[in-house]
Amino acid sequence: MNVSFHPELVTGREDGFRSGPWTVTAGSTRRGDASCNLTERVLHVPLGHDETSRVVRAHELMHARVSPHLREHYGALEDMSPRALECAEEFRINTLVARLGFDVALLRDGSEKSGGRRLAESGEWSEALCFMLAVLGTGSEKEYLAGVRQLQPTWMAGMRAVRKRALGVVDALGSTSLGATRLNEDHLPSGYANVTVVLARLLSQSMVARPPVTPDALRAFRRSLEPGGRRPATGRFADLAFDESLEMAPRARARGLRRARPATSGSTMRYPSRLFTDDHKRAFAQRTSVHGGIVIIDQSGSMDLDGSALHALLRRAPDALVLGYSHRPGDSGATPNVWILANRGAVARTCPSGNVGNGVDGPVLRWAIARRRGDEPIIWVTDGQITDSHDHPDDKLTQECATLVRQHRIRLVREMPDAARALSWGRTTSRAQWSQFGRIGRKLQEMKVS
Amino acid sequence: MSLLESFEDVESCWRDLSDVLAAGISRVLLYGPSGTGKTYAALHHGVGIHPAERLVCTEDLTSGEITGTWMPVGENRWEWREGPAIRAWHGSGGLGGRLVVDEVDRASGDALSTLLAMTDSPESARWRNPETSQWVRPGPHFSVIMTSNIDDLDDIPSSLRDRFPVAIRVDRPHASALAGLSADLRAPALAGSLGPVGRRVSLRSFYAFDELRAKCGAQRAAQLVFCENALSVLDALAIAALA
Repeated sequence: MNVSFHPELVTGREDGFRSGPWTVTAGSTRRGDASCNLTERVLHVPLGHDETSRVVRAHELMHARVSPHLREHYGALEDMSPRALECAEEFRINTLVARLGFDVALLRDGSEKSGGRRLAESGEWSEALCFMLAVLGTGSEKEYLAGVRQLQPTWMAGMRAVRKRALGVVDALGSTSLGATRLNEDHLPSGYANVTVVLARLLSQSMVARPPVTPDALRAFRRSLEPGGRRPATGRFADLAFDESLEMAPRARARGLRRARPATSGSTMRYPSRLFTDDHKRAFAQRTSVHGGIVIIDQSGSMDLDGSALHALLRRAPDALVLGYSHRPGDSGATPNVWILANRGAVARTCPSGNVGNGVDGPVLRWAIARRRGDEPIIWVTDGQITDSHDHPDDKLTQECATLVRQHRIRLVREMPDAARALSWGRTTSRAQWSQFGRIGRKLQEMKVS
Repeated sequence: MSLLESFEDVESCWRDLSDVLAAGISRVLLYGPSGTGKTYAALHHGVGIHPAERLVCTEDLTSGEITGTWMPVGENRWEWREGPAIRAWHGSGGLGGRLVVDEVDRASGDALSTLLAMTDSPESARWRNPETSQWVRPGPHFSVIMTSNIDDLDDIPSSLRDRFPVAIRVDRPHASALAGLSADLRAPALAGSLGPVGRRVSLRSFYAFDELRAKCGAQRAAQLVFCENALSVLDALAIAALA
């Protein structure tokens, strides 16, 4: 015989959620086999008489009591990982349930240790962090962490830092504040906004961070968890997010750039030295017009895009593909970080401004290389700084970009006005100019020496 | 918006009843789940100083219990005692009063026939007093409210239903019925009374729980009132209160 269950009695919300009958379906105490669907008003819970079933029911009832019931409450938080939000909410719910005197030590199903080992084995640092928050304070926590520790002991310091910060956030609040459902100015239930969203934000930035191993990295990681702390280094670029909203307009064609190329025949011997140095003896000059090329513009905080310089460039290279990029540090794809300013004859009506960080240097270069037509030149307008998705300089990422520059003969320029000239150079950036390009310049020099 | 506030918005059934009685409709059927205060409203709403007459239908209800019976008053002497229906016909000073017929769906065939006669339209309704042989008619202010716990109106005999053109489904307690509970119990009590069949918790249970917990604590009170549901109810109340 099933136990009685009274979800209808769980009232007290202040966020417009209307009370009414619930549909109750039989679940179990196995992880994932209990849920609360506030939209459809369905509770899937174990209906056994045992104490574990009772605590699981209390957990789901607490969701019914305090969790947001509108999809917009989740959609408004696009800069956060949905998984981080989910796990942070689990932690808030477990904390509230524990404070009401339910024995949350019973919330375990025996799969925790092997689950922790599996995540550690596959190197899933982000999921390892999320799951730690989901089970924090319950009977699952200790065994789960033991499983992770077995294969990734270096992760533990970072995980402990996140754990300590999460406990600090909830310990600072009473149960009433923790579970408050009155909507704040952002139309989010205040308990959710003050705890779940705060923790999910910390979790989101830590998930993409490199697991801190060295003492310095650990210190920086801990600082990143404090209010106002800088996001930790991630050691990787963000994914490209194109701005699809830009409108393009056709542009009147100009003459294009005139460029001289060595040739075996012609009317003027322009390169007599080639008679001795060039196997093919290309001593004559042949003038060709350059219409295209690819220009990549770093629009991060340290760089600036002058609209008139773009139009000057397009007057000389009307068929150029021009793209700008800049990543908002910590953004997970909600804010576009790359935009096409001109595309083989069409030009964008507006010119977006940058988002402070670089963050996507490598992916942008790769994207441009993949769209190169023949041996058309690729120009990179850059100050030479390369940063990760949280806007931290990174040696490995700088090396990656420097390798692309060398392999694909990408020409570097500091300013937009230099880009048009670089399109007609016919050669890569000289070694003497490398020093103008910060980290990537230094990396190119190192690569040349080695 | 709290549950009680939203309740104020949507307690249309009670507003319907007020409007219907204010418009002078004298035959009303109230039906719906138990414990929502149908009988209480029928006995008190729109009734003057003369108390309403109440008739609770069972399978054993007889016609005599509706219209009246001869009662022995001494050696070989009997006296006619009017039943609640006739008393309501007279009401205060012959003007007619309120007759409340509870659980009408449970009335037997004989009783139902008599009820049909008693609740007929004012022009048709009449009854001969066996003691005086005089014809009696309902007073001008006579009204009848029938109540039933049925969920489907089809379960009411069509002839009886025909006499009650206005049927109102009462599916929630009146706000004033909650006011007597402790503040922390009002919203759960309202929500519990609206729960699906099988999980519904009546308002009466909450009143009993409220009184008992003041004397012997919530655990004991829940055990006494909610029996095997005690733990589930207490858990839900604790989560609702979140303190």
